[in-house]
Amino acid sequence: MAEPSRDAQQIPRGSKACRRLFGPVDSEQLRRDCDALMAGCVQEARERWNFDFVTETPLEGDFAWERVWGLGLPKLYLPAGPRDDLGGGKRPSPSPALLQGTAQEDHLDLSLTCTLMPHTLERPEGSPGAPGTSQGRKRRQTSMTDFYHSKRRLIFSKRKP
Amino acid sequence: MELLCCEVDPVRRAVPDANLLYDDRVLQNLLTIEERYLPQCSYFKCVQKDIQPYMRRMVATWMLEVCEEQKCEEEVFPLAMNYLDRFLAGVPTPKTHLQLLGAVCMFLASKLKETIPLTAEKLCIYTDNSIKPQELLEWELVVLGKLKWNLAAVTPHDFIEHILRKLPQPSEKLSLIRKHAQTFIALCATDFKFAMYPPSMIATGSVGAAICGLQQDEDVSSLTGDALVDLLAKITNTDVDCLKACQEQIEVVLLNSLQQFRQDQGDGSKSEDELDQASTPTDVRDIDL
Repeated sequence: MAEPSRDAQQIPRGSKACRRLFGPVDSEQLRRDCDALMAGCVQEARERWNFDFVTETPLEGDFAWERVWGLGLPKLYLPAGPRDDLGGGKRPSPSPALLQGTAQEDHLDLSLTCTLMPHTLERPEGSPGAPGTSQGRKRRQTSMTDFYHSKRRLIFSKRKP
Repeated sequence: MELLCCEVDPVRRAVPDANLLYDDRVLQNLLTIEERYLPQCSYFKCVQKDIQPYMRRMVATWMLEVCEEQKCEEEVFPLAMNYLDRFLAGVPTPKTHLQLLGAVCMFLASKLKETIPLTAEKLCIYTDNSIKPQELLEWELVVLGKLKWNLAAVTPHDFIEHILRKLPQPSEKLSLIRKHAQTFIALCATDFKFAMYPPSMIATGSVGAAICGLQQDEDVSSLTGDALVDLLAKITNTDVDCLKACQEQIEVVLLNSLQQFRQDQGDGSKSEDELDQASTPTDVRDIDL
């Protein structure tokens, strides 16, 4: 299938918009700053989820991580060779878990395979806790890591509005 | 197959979705969540040491030129500016990185909003090859991390249809009002004054300014003056005085940019051809305050 391209929108020859705004760019400095900022993101994620995303090992903390075998994951989520289907494969590919960064509290359900304790469940208004409707239900979303899921031990009180 | 015509616009658009546009819950939800996506602080005062307000304007003007030349969807530019402002509100950045960040933000916004997004290679050419595609991709991850992957920010464009459909304008005038309002929104995104305003207010002020501006040439509205502002304020739950102030600021920014435009024209630094390529300034010229 031929992808439609933006070729019709080629950059006009001598386009005035092709210009550098703030002088020469120091590639070395870009690299250093990029590494430092990425390291900060990794550290933040490590503290947030008590999980070392570089070595893919659980750490002590609020989340109990458990290794999961044979979830029947779609191949897409499994670590594979160069992912040529995504942007030409030139992208550096850190652990897919890294890419989650530090999801916010309210995105927990989306980014973790976890078992929520019954009293931490957010009940939709108007359906006050019919027992067994959702408690203990496993919400599966498998991009956080491919091999672990976590149980949530503690209730966080710092939920953002 | 021999009859295949290659001249068709390759971008396919969905028809307007009545479920999204004619349901008030959507507007209410947009109003509820819009503040989440505002930059956390006025970063020139509290975060940035190297970057000055005029540098933001420079990079914004460049980004707008690129978006126009590449005929990006209207919301790509304001969305990219939202990413840039949110990043700069959190990360002290040297000015030499600013253009790279602008390119990264356009890259992300274009991928979120367009069926055929801008490529990394093309964006690098627009920086006069001062950055490499590889660097763009690496910084894309940095920006995504700092934005916590929250890319679906609310922009003023999200409100335009909701506002327009509640106005008593004849429908044949709406497309002109919409076009002018979009131009005002782009103008606002280039000016840091508006970076901390809720998108709904910018949208409402832009529609108001568009109607007022057009009203002078032709009769586009049965409502004018205070009655118009009152109605607009009610639609987006905006305070009337804030809205008036916002609309006045928009008109001032327009006047300044028109003056700038005439100066540039006087200098002869822009040929008429170049001007006609850019859709936004052409619109701006049509408006008489």
